[in-house]
Order: sequence, then structure tokens, then C-alpha cells
Amino acid sequence: MDRHDSDPTLMSGDSSQPITVTIGATVPTGFEHTAAEEVNEKIGASARISRDRGRIYFQITTDKLPLVHHLKSVDNLFVVVEEFENFQFKDSKEEVFADLQALASNLPWHNALEVWKMNISLKKKRGRRRGNAASRPSPDAGQDAAEDAVSMETEHKAAQEVDGQEGGSPERDGEPKEEGSEVKPLKFRVTCNRAGDKHSFTSNEAAREFGGAVQEVFQWKADMTRFDVEVLLNIHNSEVVVGIALTEESLHRRNITHFGPTTLRSTLAYGMLRLCKPQPSDIIIDPMCGTGAIPVEGAMEWRQAFYVAGDNNDMAVSRTVNNVGHIQRKRQDAGSTAPGLPVDTLQWDVCHLPVRTGSVDIVITDMPFGKRMGSKKKNWDLYPSCLREMARVCRPGTGKAVLLTQDKKCFTKALSRMGGLWRKSHTVWVNIGGLHAGVFVLKRTGSAFGTTPEDLRDARGAEGPEEAELKNNLRTQMV
Amino acid sequence: MKLLTHNILTSHVKGVTKGYPLLIKATEVRVNEVEFNPQFVSRMIPKLEWSALVQAAEGDLPSSLIQDYENNEEFLRKVHRVLLEVEVIEGCLQCPESGREFPISRGVPNMLLNEDDS
Repeated sequence: MDRHDSDPTLMSGDSSQPITVTIGATVPTGFEHTAAEEVNEKIGASARISRDRGRIYFQITTDKLPLVHHLKSVDNLFVVVEEFENFQFKDSKEEVFADLQALASNLPWHNALEVWKMNISLKKKRGRRRGNAASRPSPDAGQDAAEDAVSMETEHKAAQEVDGQEGGSPERDGEPKEEGSEVKPLKFRVTCNRAGDKHSFTSNEAAREFGGAVQEVFQWKADMTRFDVEVLLNIHNSEVVVGIALTEESLHRRNITHFGPTTLRSTLAYGMLRLCKPQPSDIIIDPMCGTGAIPVEGAMEWRQAFYVAGDNNDMAVSRTVNNVGHIQRKRQDAGSTAPGLPVDTLQWDVCHLPVRTGSVDIVITDMPFGKRMGSKKKNWDLYPSCLREMARVCRPGTGKAVLLTQDKKCFTKALSRMGGLWRKSHTVWVNIGGLHAGVFVLKRTGSAFGTTPEDLRDARGAEGPEEAELKNNLRTQMV
Repeated sequence: MKLLTHNILTSHVKGVTKGYPLLIKATEVRVNEVEFNPQFVSRMIPKLEWSALVQAAEGDLPSSLIQDYENNEEFLRKVHRVLLEVEVIEGCLQCPESGREFPISRGVPNMLLNEDDS
């Protein structure tokens, strides 16, 4: 391939003519189908789900690029340079490396680089609109930061105090060098993800070899941290995808500026909400809301429902209020005459909800995992009590629950004793920072609370207000 | 706290059977504009305890639902304002039976009970 043609700094093509490209998106594993649905809805493209979990692909014409950035179920986006369904990896390392090097100079880089360029100018426009984002909140630094609960706490206190923070996607401030502005070459890095047991090489080796060849082709400078172009080399058994990243940091924390130790990814919150399909006038509660990721995502995407966020923890309540407030102020600043979100926040105990029986349509929450928050022993007591309380407040017959938990054993056991109140609809298995978790979708049975055998059995224990009430009801019914 | 939320809240103090509706004692109220959606309001009305809402709205709403409210935009807008736009920022909620008060601060009601009353 002629080096000249592939050098973007010399590109003079007609960039007004839309070209068709394939976009790849990483999504929370388990939510590939909901993401594909969203792509179909918002972009009109039919998405293909990769065998490599957590990835979907779809085609767009380049004029639709701005739309792609509005997808709520995707963590990261990239433009595909080329896909190989059946890449023949040779047995020896040396042969593989030779192949990778040859590959670099034979790929159709042009269109993908055009899209990369377009994307840069898109991001600049969005950056200008947001004004001066002097320092982005430190917890935004990718998913790894989220896993370290201990350091998160101290970082967040600092992040909380900064006012005028931009919410939304955590974009880098360092502007990548625009071609034509300087003579300096672009900086790049290669990120390789490799999965499969028949490979004779590691992802680092592949990245290094491929990177070397890419450098030869474009004369770019390799830089692992401050790069302009991130080339992606995804290898999944014999499936190889070469792409160029369109997002620098994950979009998964977009609406949250005030983080907590276990803040849920917005993309995961969105996926969970899609599972319960909020309808106009649905009353939706998140009784263990943490920083409010779910209610906030819901209030923005499904505006015709009403969200009640609650937590027992002072800091969680405070962060939720701040997150909601931040978005409302952003909307106001953007000129909205109705910036208010349909969300309310309360401080309460999930096992003693101050909510009328049967008054809630959907209960959706991220239940304590017992590893980062709470403890496994606590879950044994907590799960049955809160499942019961959730059943009480949930509307019989039509009510639903969407519950995320890593403690599947404890949850399943607690649920098995509630057959009269909850019925399992389906389960989505997800991966939360290396932990295998499940999103359980439940349907509230038509039975009134207090009339099923397990209720009566449990009610014979400590008598609380609901028990007093239901005993009263039963007495009057029996007369 | 919005009045829609208040409509589903009840006292959960131990032993109380008539804990609904909670009495609102507001010292600071604010109006926060929220997008009006007629479908939301008309579908929400049957889910509400109308008398509790009327009581909380302090005279802004008729004591009984008007006929054919689904098509009455003026009425729906009134209900919308009461449900979603009026917010109690400071004050408290009081259990009508036990008298126990739950403070509201920064728009957030604290419904946590102590050892003795839960």
C-alpha cells in the first residue's frame, strides 16, 4: 500500500460525502441484545452480536456518527478497519509476528481514519459547548479505578467539592494534535485484547509487533499514554478485528459526577432499566440507590415514569441529591424551561420501607454484593427481609423487580421461599469488574401481600407495623 | 420531596395502623419546573389516593375528581404542578397516629426509625 495514501495528514478527500463504515461497540456482557435493540431504535441499523462477548457491530453512514455517541448502552466505541472471521494463526511465534507485520501494511485504513478525523472534530465541538472542564473527576479513570473501593472514598471527597464539573462523558482535555496544524507526526498506541487457547503469543507481543509495523506504515510516534490514535487489535480465537478507538475513556460513568465506592456503570443501569421497560406513569423505586445511577439514568431516558431513590446511608443520599441537582443545573444552563427531573430522594431502611402496600410498579436496584459493601453474613439476613418488603410495596399482578446481585446463592435461596409473591421471569448474567453477577427479573404474583403461606409463617416472628396491619386484615376477613 | 412521593409514603412506626397520610409541616417550599406530559398525569391519577393529594395541595385541587379529566388539559396541568413541581425543601412529615416526626432537609425526608420505634 502506498504510504502516501494512508497518511491522514495528506488526506484531501471529499469529506462531505458520507461513507459506510462498520462501528464496533463494547457493552456490559449480558446486555448485548438490549444494546442491539437500542441501536436499531436510535440509529435504524441492525446490530450483529459478536461471538466475543460484550461486543456488537453495526453499519452506519458517516453522517450518523453524532447519533452513535448518544447510545446509552455502550461503554466504548471504535470504527472497524477490517474483520477476519478466520485468521489462520501459524504455529510459531515468528511466523505469527511476520503475518501481523504484513497485515499492517495491507489493511484498508483510509475510511476508518476518515471516521477518526470526523470524530475528533465532533469531540472538539462538544468540548467547546461544555466550556472549561478544568479537571475531570479523578474516579473517571476507567473501570479499574472503580474496583479499588478503598482509594475511591478519598478521591471522591475531592471530586465532590469541585463545582461546575462537567457531567457526561469523561473526555480528556488534552487536545490531540489536529493534522495540518503542525508538522509533528501523530502519536499512537496499539491495544490488543486476546482470548483463545491455541495462540502461541501473548497480547503484549502481538501489540508490539503490530505496532511496529503500523509505525513503519504511517511514521507515527508510539506513545502509550498521550496518544492521538488508538489502534485496537482484538483477537478472539481465530476472529480478528482491527479497529480505531472513537472513545478515549469509557462512557460508562456519564451522568455521575459524585461517585461512591460501588457506583454502578451508567451503561449497566441503562441495560437494567431496558429490561423492565418503564411505561408512562410507572412508579419506580430504587430502595438501595447508592449514588443514584439507576434513577438518574431512568429519569433521563424514560422521562414519563417517576423515580424514587432511597438509601439508608448519609453519603449515598447526599451524592444522589448532588447527582440529580447537577443534571438539573446543566439542563437549566443549556436553556431548558423545564429542567426538573422526575426523581425524589429519601433516606430510609430497605427492610422497613415507609411506602404504602402495593403502590409501586417497579423495584430496581443493585443489591449489596457482600464483597465491597456489606458482608456475606449480612446478606443472609438482608436478602429475605428486603425481598419481602419489596414484594409488599410492589403492585400485585403487574409489578416487576429487576435486581442485580453477585451473591446468587443467597439471593436464590431467599427467593425460593417467596414463591407466593415473586416469580422469576428471566436472568441476565453479567460481569462486574471481574465478578460474575446476575440481573434477576422478577414478576410480582397476583397474590395480595399477607395472604400467602410464607407471609403468614414469617409474620409470626417479630411484629412490625405491616404484621400488625395484616393480622388485623386477616381477622376482619375471617369474620 | 414532591407531593407524588408524599402520596405513597406512610408511617411505619411500630404498632401504628393508621399512619396514612403523613401530615406535612413545611417551612420551605420551592417550585421546580418539570416537563408536562398529559399521558403521565391522566394515567397516574387512578393510582393516587386523591383525598390525600387534595389535603397536601392545600386548596389547589378540587376535593373530588372532575368528570372526563383525561381530556381536560387545564385540570391535568394543575395536577401536574401539584404532583411534580411543588417541592418541600425543609420541614417535616408527621405520623398522624403516633405524632412521630420525620425531618425533611435539602428536599430529602429522613424516614429512618430508631431502635425503639421500628
